[in-house]
Amino acid sequence: MKPGTRLKSAACDTEVMVIRTAGGTIECGGAAMAEEKPADAAALSPDHSNGSLMGKRYVDADNAYELLCVKPGKGSLSVDGVALVTKDAKPLPASD
Amino acid sequence: MATKVMQGVRVLEVAQFTFTPAAGAILADWGADVIKVEHPVRGDTQRGFLNLGGFQVDPMRHTLIEHPNRGKRSVGIDLSTPEGQEVLYELAKTSDVFLTNYLPHHRQKNKFDVEHIKAVKPDIIYARGSAFGAKGPDYARGGFDGTVFWSGSGIAYAHSPEELGGPLSQAIPAFGDSIGGMFIAGGISAALFHREKTGEGAVMDVSLQSTAWWAAGASLSQQMEHGVSQRAQMPTSGGMQVNPFLGNFWTSDGRTINLCILSPTGLIEDTFEHMNRPEAAKDPRFADPLSLFQNAQAASEILVEAFAEHDFAYWRERLKTLKGQWAAVINFEEMSQDEQALANDMVIEVEAPDGGPPIKLVRGPVQWNGEPLETTRAPQASEHTEIVLMESGIEWDRIEEWKAKGAIA
Repeated sequence: MKPGTRLKSAACDTEVMVIRTAGGTIECGGAAMAEEKPADAAALSPDHSNGSLMGKRYVDADNAYELLCVKPGKGSLSVDGVALVTKDAKPLPASD
Repeated sequence: MATKVMQGVRVLEVAQFTFTPAAGAILADWGADVIKVEHPVRGDTQRGFLNLGGFQVDPMRHTLIEHPNRGKRSVGIDLSTPEGQEVLYELAKTSDVFLTNYLPHHRQKNKFDVEHIKAVKPDIIYARGSAFGAKGPDYARGGFDGTVFWSGSGIAYAHSPEELGGPLSQAIPAFGDSIGGMFIAGGISAALFHREKTGEGAVMDVSLQSTAWWAAGASLSQQMEHGVSQRAQMPTSGGMQVNPFLGNFWTSDGRTINLCILSPTGLIEDTFEHMNRPEAAKDPRFADPLSLFQNAQAASEILVEAFAEHDFAYWRERLKTLKGQWAAVINFEEMSQDEQALANDMVIEVEAPDGGPPIKLVRGPVQWNGEPLETTRAPQASEHTEIVLMESGIEWDRIEEWKAKGAIA
């Protein structure tokens, strides 16, 4: 799969842009994502339903995968069943 | 289709906090494609605010990121790396405006000062927001609006009655920044027109100090010309020494009505009648403006007594038909529900990054063709890095190479 590809969730509204991939199955809500939405929606797995957040990057522990959420949804992102985590900016502490 | 006067203009912003980013937000509101460059790991330092005005910040509903950054896209670039600088130059080539508030030594060290950006885009408008301007002993010194605009300008002093024993703090976060950001946006608009006519891209400066000078211009000019200027006095209920129709008056429930009838001609009778003092309107002491001024103390006492007879709600309703100028002294909670402000589309809504209800923000002061403003939420840090670079025709292999080196997010 080419980086830059957009994938859609089969189980919710989530859409991502693939930034980095290593060949595993990219999933959302427990179901494999694809460039086109399937005719019949997949069931949202309760184990993968923490939601995706607009504009956030999601990575795995080895940094082999990076997905950019371009449309949020109820499903959470995973690769081969392993949940991805958000790659957050680490701003310096400040206060007004 | 909403009017977007800056459609087709690209702004490359390397700026943090509110003052200079707010200019980018105004231009984005007006239709410009504003690309905000942020550090790939830390992002805009303002993202790290734990508190705003003493209240805890929710990083996913961060109004001080939304206010000065709505409508933009964010690209994460580490400008301390040669590759990061290369990426910045690629983006500068397709930009009309370069907007920055980094200090001079940072711009030199990371090679995005005027000469570096002009080298790749000679007619670009190079807009700088600074604390103290581009010249003089403090040109390289940083500052915030609380220091330069408010405290260091005479403004804090003028707003603080002597009896307080010390100056009031700037109680509105980013107050000077938000005013000054609009000044920068206005300057950029004029610079774009100038470039259209002459082909030349100007270098422009707006500082927090120049913002304060302009905002306080009436007092500073008076000071320089006459050696005097006004200072706030302790709050009291009553009219001014000369003009009794000018001042704050306290209502029975401890709120305040401000009267500002600078020129009372033709308004004396109407004012006293609204105060439920029709007999005063016929009093020869108040028959005409000069008599009124001579008997200011007596007139003020009548008004003070009248205002204290009814509550704030009564006066707000009662004064709706007053011919002279007046205001109810309200707070931000009341302002955010103000019918008049809402009728003029002051509130805008953007999608919330946490998926919750929309975040309400304030539109800029300029309205185009009477239309409400449509814009989008502020970007997450580095959200659009790959998308913007691909749009600029950069191939994925190069993007990956830069990513691997940590030059981009």
